[in-house]
Amino acid sequence: MSMEDYDFLFKIVLIGNAGVGKTCLVRRFTQGLFPPGQGATIGVDFMIKTVEIKGEKVKLQIWDTAGQERFRSITQSYYRSANALILTYDISCEESFRCLPEWLREIEQYANSKVITVLVGNKIDLAEKREVSQQRAEEFAETQNMYYLETSAKESDNVEKLFLDLARRLISEARQNTLANSAASPLPGEGKSIGYLNCCNFN
Amino acid sequence: MEATVSSCKVVEGGGGSSRSRSQFSMQFISNLTDLQELEEVYGRLCAEQNDAESQLEMLVNQQSSIENKMTVLQRMGPNLQLIEGDAEQLSGMISFTCNLAENVSSKVRQLDLAKNRLYQAIQRADDILDLKFCMDGVQTALKNEDYEQAAAHIHRYLSLDKSVIELSRQGKEGSIIDANLNLLQDAEQRLKVIVAEKFSVATKEGDLPQVERFFKIFPLLGLHEEGLSKFSEYLCQQVANKAEENLLLALGTDLSDRRAAVIFADTLTLLFEGIARIVETHQPIVETFYGPGRLFTLIQHLQVECDRQVDKVVDKFIQQRGYHRKFQQVQNSMMRMSATDKIEPRELDPILAEVALMNARSELYLRFIKRRISSDFEVGDSMASEEVRQEHQKSLDNLLNHCLLSRTMQEVIGYYITMEEYFMRETVNKAVTMDTCEKGQLTSSMVDDVFYIVKKCIGRALSGSSIDCLCAMINHSTTVLESDFREVLCNKLRMGFPATTFQDFQRGVTSAVNIMHSSLQQGKFDTKGIESMDEAKLSFLVSLNNVEVCSENIMTLKKTLENDCTKLFSQGFGGEQAHAKIDSCLTDLASVSNKFRDLLQEGLGELNTTAVKPQVKPWINIFLSVSHNIEEEEFNDYEANDPWVQQFIINLEQLMAEFKTGLSPVIYDNLTSLMTSLIAIELEKVVLKSTFSRLGGLQFDKELRSLVAYLTTVTTWTIRDKFARLSQMATILNLERVTEILDYWGPNSGPLTWRLTPAEVRQVLALRMDFRSEDIKRLRL
Ligand SMILES: Nc1nc2c(ncn2[C@@H]2O[C@H](COP(=O)(O)OP(=O)(O)OP(=O)(O)O)[C@@H](O)[C@H]2O)c(=O)[nH]1
Ligand SMILES: [Mg+2]
Repeated sequence: MSMEDYDFLFKIVLIGNAGVGKTCLVRRFTQGLFPPGQGATIGVDFMIKTVEIKGEKVKLQIWDTAGQERFRSITQSYYRSANALILTYDISCEESFRCLPEWLREIEQYANSKVITVLVGNKIDLAEKREVSQQRAEEFAETQNMYYLETSAKESDNVEKLFLDLARRLISEARQNTLANSAASPLPGEGKSIGYLNCCNFN
Repeated sequence: MEATVSSCKVVEGGGGSSRSRSQFSMQFISNLTDLQELEEVYGRLCAEQNDAESQLEMLVNQQSSIENKMTVLQRMGPNLQLIEGDAEQLSGMISFTCNLAENVSSKVRQLDLAKNRLYQAIQRADDILDLKFCMDGVQTALKNEDYEQAAAHIHRYLSLDKSVIELSRQGKEGSIIDANLNLLQDAEQRLKVIVAEKFSVATKEGDLPQVERFFKIFPLLGLHEEGLSKFSEYLCQQVANKAEENLLLALGTDLSDRRAAVIFADTLTLLFEGIARIVETHQPIVETFYGPGRLFTLIQHLQVECDRQVDKVVDKFIQQRGYHRKFQQVQNSMMRMSATDKIEPRELDPILAEVALMNARSELYLRFIKRRISSDFEVGDSMASEEVRQEHQKSLDNLLNHCLLSRTMQEVIGYYITMEEYFMRETVNKAVTMDTCEKGQLTSSMVDDVFYIVKKCIGRALSGSSIDCLCAMINHSTTVLESDFREVLCNKLRMGFPATTFQDFQRGVTSAVNIMHSSLQQGKFDTKGIESMDEAKLSFLVSLNNVEVCSENIMTLKKTLENDCTKLFSQGFGGEQAHAKIDSCLTDLASVSNKFRDLLQEGLGELNTTAVKPQVKPWINIFLSVSHNIEEEEFNDYEANDPWVQQFIINLEQLMAEFKTGLSPVIYDNLTSLMTSLIAIELEKVVLKSTFSRLGGLQFDKELRSLVAYLTTVTTWTIRDKFARLSQMATILNLERVTEILDYWGPNSGPLTWRLTPAEVRQVLALRMDFRSEDIKRLRL
């Protein structure tokens, strides 16, 4: 399919309420900056960053979606092909936490069943304004089988870790998937049902 | 000798030169008594004398040349004096000139200073005169209602150096100037009021020449912002009047009207065109009288009115078309499984088309505004700092992205995507349920229908010119094709190709072609309600063809969309990331093509194992019942009455005829390739179970050649390779003696590459009844 210079390609989609800091997280990770006066995202933004993990080039396609309600139908169309979802809320905004079940319903409805979801509590630099305790978020994440991480796009806390850990997890999932697929020779329409990960592996 | 010595001494003594003086003094000589000593001294003195003489001679020789030089020098004497005189004169002149120059330049400096002061004085005098002139002029102009003139005076006054005025006031005529200044300021205020009043009267009366007249006066009075905002107010009023009129007309449109289905899109179009015209008409005045960079302000004001009008139109659209109600219905329908209370997708078609048109018009309008403002900023910012430029860019982006028009259309498009997705999915489902296969067609109707629908939906999104909306629809199409439609074809293939029964076999394989033709006598068959086995067979083959066509159609669709998008981008639509976004979504779409290709391979494998293999295997097994341990007589008999291979070929031909008519050439070719591999493997198995005589080996060789010759005619693949092992087995079975193998083995193999291992060669050799096992064992391979 492609002679491009990478070993793995993954799609990561950021979702969550408007203003929780999705764009800032992406910009911090891809450009190493905290944009002042970041405006609300219109539709979806698209960015690519290639990272190296244990000598392997991993190309991350990052889709930064708009949190505002009116873009929901656009962003929903990206769930299905996502390898990973970063569900973000703002630790200084109870409301953004309370909306999480609604987002989980969306994931349930539209995303691939194999998708990896990470819950991210952003803006931990605003410690004095914290409205959602870490424990509460961790407990919630556990009930939903999600990884949980707290970040600050502003202070660059855990941002790198968020994406790199995710990439590592995606690689190991992709490896398992390729193994599972090559083991059984599938009947028509079975087994290989959605070879969404093995198409990314070029080795 | 004596004389010479003495003369020499005289010279030396007279010369007084210590250098050439003899080493012996007279006194020393006089005191000498010893003859030997005297002789020695004499000898030395003689030598000294010789030296002195030769030196003297040298000096004498030089005399003439020295004299020559002296004469030359003497002749030069007067010249040198001349030069000295000249040089002195020159130096005098230089220092004079230098002084002069210094003098002159200092005078020039003074002159410059004087001139500057003079200019300043003139300027001030001018300014004061101007001031007086303005003071007088303004009064007269105002009296004559010549507001342009009055404003020009005020403009002149406003552009005067304030410090000059201040200085003038402190001068002798201070009080008079003060009085006049007051008058002037008074006049300025008066003029401002008058212009504002006149402007508002002109706008009320809709007197465009007067409106423009006073609009031009504002900037002269330093009232740029006020002028623009007042003028915009006037323009907005016009926009509003026209828009309301248009909306009323639209609402009264007869349902039979040709444009009735897109009347709201048309109304928006009129609004946008009206504003665009206003911008076009008034841009020159703004540029000329307000300077570059001011168009943004004007459009910003206009946009407020535009937003207000768009809101009204879209509101009416939502009401009249029941847009939200339909969206709600769609949402409910998506939850429900039963078809009964689902909204009919056809009902959505017109409204989706109208929304796409509405958005296309909005995008076109926004792009127009963007271009106009950008180029106006560019002119104004040619000397500006990067910061200023960025600031301007940001305010432009802000205007475009966050104006109510954009937000409203984003919302409308948000609903549109959900409804378009529903339309696509439901119509695709319908195409699947209504699937039929026309006589003589390899594929069934649903493939064409499904791709027609997908193309229609993506095409509609494309026509709306919103990149995000287009990407969303490409994503949804990918889902519909990959999950929904692929699943349908998968299920059809999963039903399998019905295994041929024993009766079929006994009948010697009824020509399936005949059956197919008979079942198609009505021209069509319904792929859903499959009753007979023949229909089931046909359905499987059609599904295989369908899968292949899907795979191809997807690639075609991707390429077409790429071209369409390139056109869209070249027209300036879409932001900086638009290209990357579309590319990524299209790559996902294209990958579905490969999934269909995989499915095709799986289906073919299935066909091969369930339909071809169970038939072919018994035919090959018949080989076991045909003895190859034969003598001359039987061999001749076989010659006359072929015991196996001819019938096998006829059977294969009949078996494949069904597939040849029912499958596309590419798939058929794939299937024959699978079949040949199968035959090769199965035949090898039975050969290894048989026994051969020398003539039996020859018989097998003949049979194999016939089979390979036949198979070569039915497939474009090379089959020699697949039959390489069998051919080599035939070669071995044809040998005269065991040792003859060595003529073909090892260094004698020539171009032949053995596919059989030494153990296998021995195994085949052992099939020959007439070969002794000791001989075979003894072979060195
Ligand atoms: N203090 C603090 N502020 C943050 C942080 N991350 C983002 N913000 C601020 O939060 C606001 C919203 O950030 P965005 O990144 O635009 O939020 P978003 O989730 O992309 O919003 P939408 O695009 O509308 O969905 C901005 O004003 C940011 O400056 C953070 O880590 N700490
Ligand atoms: Mg954002």
